[in-house]
Amino acid sequence: MITKLTVHEKTLTNGLKLIGEINPAAKSVAMGFFVKTGARDETPKEAGISHFLEHMMFKGTESRNTLDITFALGNMAAKSNAYTSEEGTVYYAAVLPEYFGNLKEILCDMLRPSLDPKEFDVEKKVILEEIALYQDRPHYYLFENMSRDYFGNHPAGNSVLGTTQTVGSISRDEMLDYFERRYLPSNMTLVATGNYDWNKFAEDAENYCGKWQTGKVERTFSKFTFNKVEKNYKKKDLSQVHFAMLSEAPSCKEEERYPLGVLSVILGDGSGSKLYWELVDKGLAEAAEVDIDEKEDTGAMMVYAATEPKNLEKVEKILKRILKTPADFTEEELNRAKTKLLTRTVLGGESTMGRMRSLGHEWMSRGKIHDLSEYITSIKAVNRESILNALKKYPLTEWSEFRLLPE
Amino acid sequence: MMVNQQQITKLSNGLTLIVEEMDAVKSVAYTLIVPTGIVHDKIETIGASLLLTELTTKGAGNRSSRELSEAFDDIGARHSESSSAYTASYSGSLLAENLDAALPLVADMVRRPQLPKEEIDNIRSLLLQDIYSIKDNPSRRVMNELTQLYFPEPFNRPSSGEAEGIGKITINELKELFERTYSPNGAVLSIAGNVNAVQVEKLIQNLFSDWKGEKIELPKFGPMPKRGMHHIQVEAAQLQISLAYPSTKFAADGYYASRVASDILSGGMFGRLFIEVREKRGLCYTVYLSTSSTSLSGVNVAYAGTTPERAQETFDVMMAELKKVKGTVTEEELSRSKANIKASLVMSEESSASRAGSNASDWWWLQRLRSLDEIQDSIQAVTFRDIDRYFEDYPCDQPMIVTLGSKELKYA
Repeated sequence: MITKLTVHEKTLTNGLKLIGEINPAAKSVAMGFFVKTGARDETPKEAGISHFLEHMMFKGTESRNTLDITFALGNMAAKSNAYTSEEGTVYYAAVLPEYFGNLKEILCDMLRPSLDPKEFDVEKKVILEEIALYQDRPHYYLFENMSRDYFGNHPAGNSVLGTTQTVGSISRDEMLDYFERRYLPSNMTLVATGNYDWNKFAEDAENYCGKWQTGKVERTFSKFTFNKVEKNYKKKDLSQVHFAMLSEAPSCKEEERYPLGVLSVILGDGSGSKLYWELVDKGLAEAAEVDIDEKEDTGAMMVYAATEPKNLEKVEKILKRILKTPADFTEEELNRAKTKLLTRTVLGGESTMGRMRSLGHEWMSRGKIHDLSEYITSIKAVNRESILNALKKYPLTEWSEFRLLPE
Repeated sequence: MMVNQQQITKLSNGLTLIVEEMDAVKSVAYTLIVPTGIVHDKIETIGASLLLTELTTKGAGNRSSRELSEAFDDIGARHSESSSAYTASYSGSLLAENLDAALPLVADMVRRPQLPKEEIDNIRSLLLQDIYSIKDNPSRRVMNELTQLYFPEPFNRPSSGEAEGIGKITINELKELFERTYSPNGAVLSIAGNVNAVQVEKLIQNLFSDWKGEKIELPKFGPMPKRGMHHIQVEAAQLQISLAYPSTKFAADGYYASRVASDILSGGMFGRLFIEVREKRGLCYTVYLSTSSTSLSGVNVAYAGTTPERAQETFDVMMAELKKVKGTVTEEELSRSKANIKASLVMSEESSASRAGSNASDWWWLQRLRSLDEIQDSIQAVTFRDIDRYFEDYPCDQPMIVTLGSKELKYA
């Protein structure tokens, strides 16, 4: 089913990891830096600094100012962007093969930013607007608050955006310090996928990044201890209510992620799942889904529903009834969930961008090469027994509950 | 640039089949466009077509709602069925080897839906919740309001339908709407992926050749409403700014200039709006202009969301940029935007869903396919004069402006 593509790996002497997958049939090349630093690596005072720094990568280097970068990426028609999560920060772009030479040079240059003080002040305003924007979106508002309250002292609950106060008070020097601590080559992975020459890529990466100062970067891990929390948040003029439940689930490094991943599809995929039939199909909830949020040292199974205020009680009751017996599924339901996951993976792997992301995230979170056929084997191997075994470790019996209600 | 083989077959009942063979992928994608949509709804029951499309998924042929959904899931097909202004689309992506199993399900939904009366209230409730959800999301809400004010009836109808109308729809009305608008005459089925066009055609002949129906005409486009400035007062962290003004029709004279012009104003991170409003002044997080066209009309929509204190400046800078662009486009901007559009075109060739979708929409609006080469050549041929003529013909002189938030803006 899968055409095996050649995957290359190399580590530069300063510790920068290179991963490449060559696909001569691809129309484009995608390239991304995966930096293992995110909201979880911030102190409370630094909240939002990883994300703010991500924005600053586009705002100038020793040899280029903001507009030089913007236009250089524009002139090679790069489809570029970046994002920050609790676990990592990613910078990426896709171009037609003829521009790949230019892309390598500029993306590597961007990752050593000058943090120009003027640009720092301008961009701080943009971030404050981004925080305001998400304040107005009920779904995000709930997720941001519940993540903090569910994880408590565990860094997985840190806010990616930070708050108006923390971002407002971050200084350029603090950001420089954070950059120098976290953006060392040993903490970064450079991934390229698509139609290009690996040897030339590795050589160019050495030229552009080989001189980057080396050093050791640490991430603090802590044990997450589940405490049952129940919290209601309020927002003015809401017509819908939002409800979520969280329970402890495997981290991205545990084998239980496969069986419980399949189980989450059985229970709460966007369509054709148990929640879909009992809630969405019956018109009781506009959305009802189950997801696993995998972090490096813990994970959370998350159940979410949006509904009208008058239906909330009923929706909660149904959700809780279904989740009380998570292993109550048929062989057909199991097979369908596996087929869905497998097809999504194959289709997602058809774009160079999709493959670049899979390879980068897998390496950043698990230190492994994302091999499509290996993944497929792991999903195919999931059966009732492996799900039951995973439920022994993560029984999904204790849930924290969160609601966003009209004020 | 184009290497994929395309085959077009017109069935005698008016259905057009388009197949694009793609060797470099394992997947296949299909899009079936049926000529029904919100513009065909009665004015008292706007949203009926949304309800109808959803109802066609609740059991079709000899399969119940659940059996239908399970049949898609058994082959791992990602599928969606939805209605918009002019059309209902039945689309999906799956592994190519499973296409034979997926298309009969689509044929059942559009030809033999069971239209079970008892499902109507459930769907109604979901459609109403979608309306509430838009109301709770300022950026979606302002766009909805803008559409309603900008276009003439029935093209101004909200894509979510209207709560009052949705409450009144009956099964008889839905059955009548189905008979009238679910027709092969004018419908387009576009398939792209790792398939053989000859085999696909056989399958389609079997599934669709005896489907019958009349041709449905789109309503006439009436005069545009008078444009002005509107404000909706709500409490929110940000003020939403949206505005609309005309552009060319799809693939009409000046259309390719409009694509380049739109890219100069708002392409990637290097469009003028992004640079002036966000990069230089840090006034907002989101700012853009997007141009969309059909064979009936074209429109430029600009948007920014920002906190009330900076909203007036944001709005003033946006308006200034939209007005002064004529005559000031540089050589560099022109070639950058052309390259950007070319890259998007070439990269779209990696995706079967994107090829199926764009072939379907070409045929629906133009009754022909534009090859990637044709689009590419037309973009390359755009000159400064074309761009200036476009800005002259479609200036941002009197836009329809809608703001939503805690503060009203001034417009000189």
